[in-house]
Amino acid sequence: MAGATRPRTVGERVADTDPSVGRILLVAAGALFWGWLVVSWVNRWLGGVIAPVGEPLVAPDAVEGALAAVPGLAAVAPDVAFVVGLTPTLAQGTWLTVVITGASLVCGFFIAVPLAVARVYGRFSAWLSLGYTELLRGTPLLAQLFVLYYGLNLAASVPAALSGVFPRDVVWVAILGFTLNGAAYQAEYIRGAVESVDEGQITAGRAIGLSKLESIYYVVLPQALRYAIPSWTNEFVYLIKYSSLAGFITVPELYYLANRVATETFRYTTVFLVLGAMYLALVLTASKFMERVDDRVAIPGLGADRER
Amino acid sequence: MSDDVFLRVNDVSKWYGDEQVLDEVSFEMDRSDVTVLIGPSGSGKSTMLRCVNRLAEAQEGSITLDGEEVLSPDTDVDRLRREVGMVFQSFNLFAHLSALGNVALGPRRVLGLSAAEARERATSQLERVGLADQLESYPAELSGGQQQRVGIARALAMEPKLMLFDEPTSALDPELIGEVLEVMRALVDEGMTMLVVTHEMSFARAVADEVVFLDDGRVVERGPPEQLFERPEKERTGRFLERIASHD
Repeated sequence: MAGATRPRTVGERVADTDPSVGRILLVAAGALFWGWLVVSWVNRWLGGVIAPVGEPLVAPDAVEGALAAVPGLAAVAPDVAFVVGLTPTLAQGTWLTVVITGASLVCGFFIAVPLAVARVYGRFSAWLSLGYTELLRGTPLLAQLFVLYYGLNLAASVPAALSGVFPRDVVWVAILGFTLNGAAYQAEYIRGAVESVDEGQITAGRAIGLSKLESIYYVVLPQALRYAIPSWTNEFVYLIKYSSLAGFITVPELYYLANRVATETFRYTTVFLVLGAMYLALVLTASKFMERVDDRVAIPGLGADRER
Repeated sequence: MSDDVFLRVNDVSKWYGDEQVLDEVSFEMDRSDVTVLIGPSGSGKSTMLRCVNRLAEAQEGSITLDGEEVLSPDTDVDRLRREVGMVFQSFNLFAHLSALGNVALGPRRVLGLSAAEARERATSQLERVGLADQLESYPAELSGGQQQRVGIARALAMEPKLMLFDEPTSALDPELIGEVLEVMRALVDEGMTMLVVTHEMSFARAVADEVVFLDDGRVVERGPPEQLFERPEKERTGRFLERIASHD
């Protein structure tokens, strides 16, 4: 059965306690989370047609009043109202977190595939690829971001076409940094999968007259990229969380904004609990999504053993 | 050398490092001939086969196929392989493609046929090997015998002028060998030129025009099957055949 050997996700374990109830709870939570995010983003883009920009979709005072009337919940009413008041900020920060993660992951993928192929099939290029991968994986990501931002001052040289797309041009620097770094990690996962493809596959490709590169493209990669999905999902999940480092180069993403609120209000516990829940929701969404993709592209007849 | 000979293997030698695996191997085939290479494992049979489509590189000697020098550095290896089909012991089907996808890949990506044409050609080749009902099956869903027949169809779809079979039945359960040999016999009847490495002596006896016995990278003896099997000239050949027979 697909996924029999994979470490089970929280979602799966919740679902296992009672398949129907667990799944409904998870789907409901996901729908609520993404519904709130999308409505908040659309509201902002449309200039506040649902609620004034920067204001919560539901008034904090109303929430506090409603909760205060419920026996037993009155004690948490101020905290809940505080969190509701944070929601516009959180939605705004999450937007950048999602965009930075998504863009870096996709761009990194297109660098990672050639890196992985070069590592396995190249001669000179294998050394180049190895050097790149070790350098990027062997040095702190934060240091890499600092070099790009403070050292090379790249935020000042964002091309005119890209400048102004985001609230601050430094977002591009963050995307560049995560792309270059993530590519090295993705390349490692993909390399492992490429190596696991049987040598006879490429021989068979060569035997019908495909060139080596064509054999890799038409025969090896379609298999390797499927095999890579479960481990590659790790990089996806890490990147969501690592994207918080962008806050250290002044990108106003989720962590940056939450941290600012925490230092202003001194309500560290509440703010960082909510922040953690936000990242958890993003991570769960990513891993659930990739599980779906994995099932979708599974090769018929190959079960759990495809996850080599 | 005036050449109406279709495939001429002349004094081919090959080394892996210091170890010589082929030692001045020579034989010829005419068009529509079936030549069977036999010999103990490690005798160089498979390596010899792979030298013909340059999956292995011979270091000395010459191979001419249909008047063209195979071993020349100027030879377009990809074109050579387009014209020489190969069937592997371990099938080597493309694991991510259906039977149809496996057979259609070469016509589509190497010969440049349209998707529809490639599909049509693949369908007819799979029908030819008796798998019309398995077009959409994936390798992992097929039996070994079915997989090998897809492998044969994949090679045939390139319309090769020579087919190489590298122990096509060695990885199969005994009850599945028959269906593959049946397909190969049909190819013989159609006049396909075939160079076959196999341990199936009854197949060799039935269809081979010539049997070449290799040992230790050297041609010990070659001749028509009735002569080589019934009256081997060399003592080494006789011993090998006896040992094979006692395991049959």
